[in-house]
Amino acid sequence: MARGPSRLLASRVHQTATEHLSSTIYPNTYNPPPPWVNALANIPPSEIWTRPYPEQHSLTPLHLPKSRKTPPKSLYRPTKIAHPEDRLRKDFYGDHPWELARPKLLMEIDGKDARYYDWSKGMRQKGMKLSGESVVQRQLWLMEVGGMTKKQAYDKARKEFYQLRRFEETEARIAQEEARAYGAYFGKTVTQVGMELEDKEYNAWLKWAGEEIEGQEMERQAAYANDIDLPEVEGEEVVDA
Amino acid sequence: MIIRNFGVRHGRQVLSAPPSAPSCLRLLSTQTTTAVAGNEAAVEQLAALSATHAAREARLAAKRQEREIAAMPSKFKKFIAYQKETEKLGSEIERRYLPDEIIRNPPHDASLEDLLAAQCHMGHHVSRWNPANSRYIYGQRSDIHIISLEQTAAHLRRAARVVEEVAYYGGLILFVGNRKGQMPIVTRMAEMAGACHLFQKWTPGCITNKDVLLQGGQLKIVDETDRELQGFDEHLRDCRPVTPDLVVCLNPLENYSMLRECAVATIPTVGIVDTDADPSWVTYQIPANDDSLRSVALIAGVLGRAGERGQQRRLEDAKQGVVAWQTPKDVTTFVNRVNKNIKAEAAAKEKKRLAEGGPDDNGLKPADLMTEEEVLAEMFGPGAVPSKY
Repeated sequence: MARGPSRLLASRVHQTATEHLSSTIYPNTYNPPPPWVNALANIPPSEIWTRPYPEQHSLTPLHLPKSRKTPPKSLYRPTKIAHPEDRLRKDFYGDHPWELARPKLLMEIDGKDARYYDWSKGMRQKGMKLSGESVVQRQLWLMEVGGMTKKQAYDKARKEFYQLRRFEETEARIAQEEARAYGAYFGKTVTQVGMELEDKEYNAWLKWAGEEIEGQEMERQAAYANDIDLPEVEGEEVVDA
Repeated sequence: MIIRNFGVRHGRQVLSAPPSAPSCLRLLSTQTTTAVAGNEAAVEQLAALSATHAAREARLAAKRQEREIAAMPSKFKKFIAYQKETEKLGSEIERRYLPDEIIRNPPHDASLEDLLAAQCHMGHHVSRWNPANSRYIYGQRSDIHIISLEQTAAHLRRAARVVEEVAYYGGLILFVGNRKGQMPIVTRMAEMAGACHLFQKWTPGCITNKDVLLQGGQLKIVDETDRELQGFDEHLRDCRPVTPDLVVCLNPLENYSMLRECAVATIPTVGIVDTDADPSWVTYQIPANDDSLRSVALIAGVLGRAGERGQQRRLEDAKQGVVAWQTPKDVTTFVNRVNKNIKAEAAAKEKKRLAEGGPDDNGLKPADLMTEEEVLAEMFGPGAVPSKY
């Protein structure tokens, strides 16, 4: 935006327009204001450029420097938002990194998903897939409401989670077996596809390497052939001369 | 041909393949079966054989089809019964997300949950922030700024009121959103609010140089109930292009020149201000995420609904005879000029008629152009008629 007072042009459109309209050069002429001037007379724009002291989110109190000589840095910067779940989440996914590889739903329809869950009823929640987040929320509930320590709550929540995961995996395996028994086929596995791609690359390389070797051999032979030919050519030339 | 080996050599083929005349002939005869000139009898025999075979095939196929058709009703009944039996199996999706729903049927007001679900709170990377936006920022997380949804909701309500009031006062509103994918959003909200839309590049100068760039654009004159008025062709040919009374911009960062023109021409603007935008570019800011189409669609939908409400209010009041807007100065000047010309013409005609002493050709008498009191004063002399009060 432009510098100087013209930065305020947009904020002050109403004042500018009313000033223009109240001009006294031709006081008696019919000069109706544009429709928006009356419409916005009672709706002033909000103030801009103010920098209030931001909300303090850190769970631990802010450490201000003791010396008065050094002013506190970044006093007016927005602070980092911290939640009690953050540490629990970090611990769980540190112990179970492959849980992060599972697909996750990020979207909400009405934004009230958290209200539909009741973590006192266990790990399974309606409308939510079993995931690391279930463990974290259940652990937090056990800590805050159940009165457990962090470790106890973690052990309890994670064992519930393992049981449900085992159940899910068994269910999926049996469903697959049943389907196979009824004649379903699922195509190649991921490993098979990977091995095939790898084999394809190896074969392509083998072909390329064979061609390269052949080419080098031909070059070598051609070089020897020239060596042998040279004296003959010279000899012929000598004979011709 | 050796007959004793026939069954061994060809038995399987003969039994499995459908009986075809050429192959039988070939196996059982030693002479050639190709039609050569002069062997017409053999050709006729061949044709007759294949004709009877084709006819038989056709009869069989027709019978098969009849049988299938006869079996159809019972099979269909069975299918319906099976469908009824199994329709309650499996899972049911109670709530599903339809991306177009927010454009087709936007809400009248956005709650904090709606704003959160639409990801209006996501700002930009902290390094890209504009410190002028710090009062809209709630905090930072994962290295992006989180916009305070309370601020968003408050500013959105104010902006919705602005749009509604301008629509009520008969102002011309322009909705601008020229990022990729914003076209359906902008057109829908303009449709709701009875406004104009722009989803392509803003041509710089369309406000400050409108006489050159927008020359010859179509205009119409309407009355308070939005009916088009006739007889203004001359005025519409000569008048200047119009400017909007309110501009709503969904992506201010790409429309700097437009917003600047609006500010210079004293046109109020409403804009979505992300954490990297400058709030002083627009008159009414809405701090929100301008990169997510869902967020933009929600905010635009609320503004479109506000415009719709304003238009409805305006038309309802117009039916009652309440009009909040005034006729623009140029239109009033034109109307006055036309009236003056008409009066002058009538007076000239009257003068001409009096000078000639002929009869009134158009049937108009001087009394027709006077008010009732003037006529009475003419008849009985001034002062004859007492004043009403």
